[in-house]
Amino acid sequence: MLETRRISKTFNPGTPNEVRSLESIDLAIDDGSFVVVIGTNGSGKSTLLNAVAGVFFLDSGSIHLEGRDVTRWPEYRRARFIGRVFQNPFSGTSPNLSIEENLALAARRGRRRGLGWALGHQLRSEMRDVVRRLNMGLEDRLDNAIGSLSGGQRQALTLLMATWLKPRLLLLDEHTAALDPKSADQVIRLSEEVIARDRLTTLMVTHSMHQAAGLGDRLIMMHRGRVIHDFHGAEKRRLRPEDLLARFEDVRRADQLDESAAEMLARVYV
Amino acid sequence: MSLLIGAVTIGFILSLLALGVFLSFRIFAFPDITAEGSFTLGAAVTATLLVNGYGPLAATVAGFAAGMMAGSLTGTLHTRFGINGLLAGILVMTALYSVNLHIMGKSNIPLLSNATFATVAESMGLKALGEQVSILGWDVSARDASVFLFVAAAIVLVGAVLYVFFRTNLGTAMRATGDNDQMIRALGVNHGAMITIGLALSNGLIALAGALLAQYQGFADVQMGIGMVVWGLASVIIGEALVGTRQLGFAITGAVMGSILFRLLVAIALRWGLNPNDLKLITAVFVFLALILPGLLARLRPNKATRPAAEAGAAHA
Repeated sequence: MLETRRISKTFNPGTPNEVRSLESIDLAIDDGSFVVVIGTNGSGKSTLLNAVAGVFFLDSGSIHLEGRDVTRWPEYRRARFIGRVFQNPFSGTSPNLSIEENLALAARRGRRRGLGWALGHQLRSEMRDVVRRLNMGLEDRLDNAIGSLSGGQRQALTLLMATWLKPRLLLLDEHTAALDPKSADQVIRLSEEVIARDRLTTLMVTHSMHQAAGLGDRLIMMHRGRVIHDFHGAEKRRLRPEDLLARFEDVRRADQLDESAAEMLARVYV
Repeated sequence: MSLLIGAVTIGFILSLLALGVFLSFRIFAFPDITAEGSFTLGAAVTATLLVNGYGPLAATVAGFAAGMMAGSLTGTLHTRFGINGLLAGILVMTALYSVNLHIMGKSNIPLLSNATFATVAESMGLKALGEQVSILGWDVSARDASVFLFVAAAIVLVGAVLYVFFRTNLGTAMRATGDNDQMIRALGVNHGAMITIGLALSNGLIALAGALLAQYQGFADVQMGIGMVVWGLASVIIGEALVGTRQLGFAITGAVMGSILFRLLVAIALRWGLNPNDLKLITAVFVFLALILPGLLARLRPNKATRPAAEAGAAHA
């Protein structure tokens, strides 16, 4: 379904701010699998998602979606296959447009946009039904500007928009990190529902060990632009939040060792 | 009365300018200076074609199309070559000055002996209405009244078409592009193309304003575009103050109303003896004040709650 072949990306190369965000990542994700990505800060989790979405072009390597090489495809062209929810609840919706206009935009994701009415009669009644299922009372406020809603409501709508046309790949980039705990729970529950119902191939970045242990059928742990752990099947199901925290501790200790070892070598030889 | 009708007619014509500026500045948040060149471009193309014997309709449509080309050029410079939006507009505007001179062949084309939309409207009006018409008890010459009616009808039509356009799939995507371009790319819209089409439309409207104004006043001049962006902005700001911005229909109506009110204010000020040379200075100061006042008021308001004494001092100052 999704395959990345030795993809690398360095930001600000040749400057003091050089960041090697992705270092030759090989990843193959099966159709219908739900992959959770965790990692330390700056490990490249979000960069990986953005690389797949086409926010920037790679330094090297290639990305294949359903057998197509999409490496040189611009972001908007890949959107035909990809639904996305961002960390910032304000990123996924257009604040000055109404709820229904936002949904209408999503209902044509990756399709031609001509001079037909954006809001047909049928689409409107369909929206009312789908939005009612959110249980947020938004179905009677479809003509309100989205900017007047809370972060949790906007994120729930963004999720709805990303999955309105069933995407071949769903990218969730820490999409509950900026929400209050109650809204976060609600959005996670909605995500689980839609992923299970439509059997969506999903790549979800999270900071929450609880989410990482409880969701998905595969877990990838990243550090410094590399995949350092990849848990599948039964192994993934056995993982508890404590196990993941222990892995992070290992990484931290290894890092410290690197630094102190380098310091020692510097003392001895320089 | 004739003065009043003239001011409102020019206000209607320049509301196309206001709509164009609304499109680039408000919908795309794109400070498009191309307008100063494309306004003259529309006038230049239309006047040249009229002088060469083309009919008013063909000449006006050609002016509109020329403006669209200018706008799409600015859009292409910005989206394809990554040139800063303001600079892209300045480049095209500067280039257009020479282009306009070439099109016109001289710096001023008089249209007094040519058929224009205004003469067509007048002759139709004279047939239908007779020499004098009474509007709200005033006697108005049928010429003025028929040109006014013609222009008003045209602008209402353009406004309605714009409103409908912005509710289509393409138009909704355009509005969202200016609102949140990250989202619109994630939904599969080529946002560079949206900006380019939007700027083409914006400058087409502005060129149309130039084309109609040249026909109405009876000449095209290579300098006539200078200051037009600020005039358009002033109209948009007045319109927003009049009717608000929450809804698309209000915003479009507001731009038209703002333009008419602005021309009326200008006509009254000139009548009272304002030096016409000061007009652009005063307009610029007005726009400056309109831009900073909301921010100033917002900064003063929290002080009111916390430090009433300081607030009182500031109010006196």
